[in-house]
Amino acid sequence: MTLEAAIRLTEILMGFAFVQQSIEHLTVFSNERRLFLARLALAVLLIIGVQTAWISFLLLLLGLAILTIFQGPYNGGADRMGLLVLSCLFLAHLAQGSRWQELAFGYLALQLILSYFISGGVKLLNPEWRNGQALRDVFQFSAYPVSKSLRQLSQSARLLQSMSWAVILFELLFPLALISSGSLTVALIIAAIFHLTNAFLFGLNRFFWIWVAAYPSIIWFQARIFS
Amino acid sequence: MKLLQTIKLLLPALIPSWNFFESIAPSPRIQYSLLNSASQTNKDWLEFRPRPQSVPFTKMLKRMLWNPRWNESLFLVSCAERIVGNSSSEIILHSEQEILKRIKNDLLQKHQSLTATHLQFRLVFVQRQNKTLTEEVAFISRVQATIGEEAR
Repeated sequence: MTLEAAIRLTEILMGFAFVQQSIEHLTVFSNERRLFLARLALAVLLIIGVQTAWISFLLLLLGLAILTIFQGPYNGGADRMGLLVLSCLFLAHLAQGSRWQELAFGYLALQLILSYFISGGVKLLNPEWRNGQALRDVFQFSAYPVSKSLRQLSQSARLLQSMSWAVILFELLFPLALISSGSLTVALIIAAIFHLTNAFLFGLNRFFWIWVAAYPSIIWFQARIFS
Repeated sequence: MKLLQTIKLLLPALIPSWNFFESIAPSPRIQYSLLNSASQTNKDWLEFRPRPQSVPFTKMLKRMLWNPRWNESLFLVSCAERIVGNSSSEIILHSEQEILKRIKNDLLQKHQSLTATHLQFRLVFVQRQNKTLTEEVAFISRVQATIGEEAR
């Protein structure tokens, strides 16, 4: 995948993620509605491909305004990832035609790799993750399970220990997937299924769309470094 | 000063820590009470947005595209964590206001109008200590009027 194609695909996927997020804010308070209507319009323009450098800049400014009105991210890691993707896209546009463009977009790929690798590392260091207790806690009393019936999964100690190790190993080994485009494709499919599962069990739908939006950067990065 | 604050908010996005679920922290539950006067002392605490018994697969699928209520609930979890975390008084006030505003809006959507004149919430944190779950009230909000000038 060429750099230009990867940037364009990222714009489209991120634009879709922003449209999805923005629509969710249109039914509530008027101050939110105004900001997210503007964001919705800009995201549609980004998908269409109109003046994408300027649109990225305006979306970044709007992102900062949204960050300020909520005194932080509205949706934790998903919003932060959105700002990261947006910042890297904007910098890539700013540095168009120079080597800095690759650095800006490559930074997004690097952070995507770290998002899995560091998450796996911190879990591996925690004995409660290694023995499955942490995942039992997630199901038993954290704010995330979307229904009471899901809390019963906390009783399945062996299943959750296996799940914990599956997540830890996948996240830690994720960087090795860069060895070939085939292994990266497989890893990204597994990662997307992981985010989809989190969306179903914990209602983290925004994480799915915004992480997938960053995938073109790593596909380009793999080809640039290893091919 | 505003610019500095914005940069402070943006930095964790540009240089993320990626330590998702590093440890499972005490988890907040929001409980609210509807009051007939600002000084009412006996209060019934009700859980805000209790979870349904189950969520059908088709609904989970739909929520991939449309999940505003749950995402708002997750934002309120963040607000609750900010209140008991090492946040500034400005952030605590903002979080308290956001929770009160959204509880009131939720109640108005459900009941059209409120007969109670005041509203208050508290944060109960659930955590595991050894093998048992414990609950601790970590914060009680101010009493907020639900009608009239004070309610705005």
